[in-house]
Amino acid sequence: MEPHPIKRCITNERNLSGEAQLEESTLIRRAANGDTTAWEPLMLAHQQAVFRLSYLLLGDPDDAEDVAQETFLRAWKHLRRFDLTRPFRPWLLSIASNLASNRRRSAGRYLAALTRAFRNEPASAGIEEKSVQHMEGNELWQAVKNLEFTDQQIIYLRYFLELPVHEAAEVLQVAEGTVKSRLNRALEKLRKIIQEGFPLLSEGREA
Amino acid sequence: MNETEFEKQLLAIAKGMEYPRTPDIAGSVTARLRSSTRLSLRTRPLAWSLTILLILLSSLMLIPPARAAILEFIQIGIVRIFPGPAQAPATATLEPLAPTTATPSSQPSTLLTTFLNQIAGETKLANAQEIAGYPILLPSYPPEMGLPNHVYVQDANGPMTILVWVDAQQPERVTLSLHFTPEGSWAIEKFQPAVIQEAEVNGQRAIWAEGPYPLRLSNGNMEFVRLIDGHVLIWEEGGITYRLETDMSLEEAVKIAESLQPIP
Repeated sequence: MEPHPIKRCITNERNLSGEAQLEESTLIRRAANGDTTAWEPLMLAHQQAVFRLSYLLLGDPDDAEDVAQETFLRAWKHLRRFDLTRPFRPWLLSIASNLASNRRRSAGRYLAALTRAFRNEPASAGIEEKSVQHMEGNELWQAVKNLEFTDQQIIYLRYFLELPVHEAAEVLQVAEGTVKSRLNRALEKLRKIIQEGFPLLSEGREA
Repeated sequence: MNETEFEKQLLAIAKGMEYPRTPDIAGSVTARLRSSTRLSLRTRPLAWSLTILLILLSSLMLIPPARAAILEFIQIGIVRIFPGPAQAPATATLEPLAPTTATPSSQPSTLLTTFLNQIAGETKLANAQEIAGYPILLPSYPPEMGLPNHVYVQDANGPMTILVWVDAQQPERVTLSLHFTPEGSWAIEKFQPAVIQEAEVNGQRAIWAEGPYPLRLSNGNMEFVRLIDGHVLIWEEGGITYRLETDMSLEEAVKIAESLQPIP
């Protein structure tokens, strides 16, 4: 199916042309005035990044979907406060990240996870059939989960979602220099974790 | 390997990360926004309708048969169980007490250990007892049960204590969890569990529910809804609602519940 023309304009944010930026800011302005038809293409353009960050932080697709929906509802509610001179995606990811942080430590999520532990769930589908690339990707995710939450955030933003440093700084609401120093510290810890606990990942890459 | 090479490798490996398919979030949110817009347009007439409805309901509640028809849920402590829509009064639909074997979990969550370590409010048993303000009880049956592997006290509008026992051979597998929730805490609602049975714990009424069923936790400000497949024994005593979740049978769950003793 041919992508929605507006979506096509704004999907690849890092390569936004002036025209596309104008398009996005126009849509945001219209949405801020209550136009849901303007909000829909903006959501379509960013829903994957918001969902994926939520999934990485929470590890559960149902929780990630809840958080992603809540992100867009909150953003819609506060659109008038959004500064149109700033990039839009980091603002959304910042909301998602905060919501995920609250959700992961909530009593409701705890109870749900605990009860899921009693379920007779099948093992993750056909893990032996997954490609080496997928296995390595998932193994890296398991390694990152051993980091503190703030370190996880920065790794996910920078390497999993491939955000440039300035956008990661917008999401975390810190200076670019702070992102770089935090990233260095997080990488150092991650390297140790991989070396000590994920020999297959480590060996595979060293080879 | 220098940092830049390591970063390049991370980028390459992270590309292989397998995500679930992104759901239609835009569609769901748009539908929710449109329905709330429609709702707000009707707010004034709706407010009047609700007022009238409340008056009517209040009047109906004074009439016993009508009250029985409206309150089609089972309340035990802070837990409400809705057996299902358009049924006779809930208590009349309960199955007689009979042994039921729960389905044991053969594939425990692989993320559970990590998850248990990340939960807020983990503490030591002695500390939990100080915070809780009510007696935390431990099962003396089965004898090999021992002390819980994890103890949490969380604020759920009241100190909710959760004790978790994991399988010694398979630490990723939870064998039992016991929840103590004082009055005034979060309301817990279950909808149409697959099985609801009357039971007794120390002569007190108890309910045994088996999933799957949606479980809603709410405290007026927040709400969570989840599909639960677990088995749970619920009873109330001295203002505390007890929820015992296990993969054991109802008979075993009752034995465990009746063996609860204060911390020595």
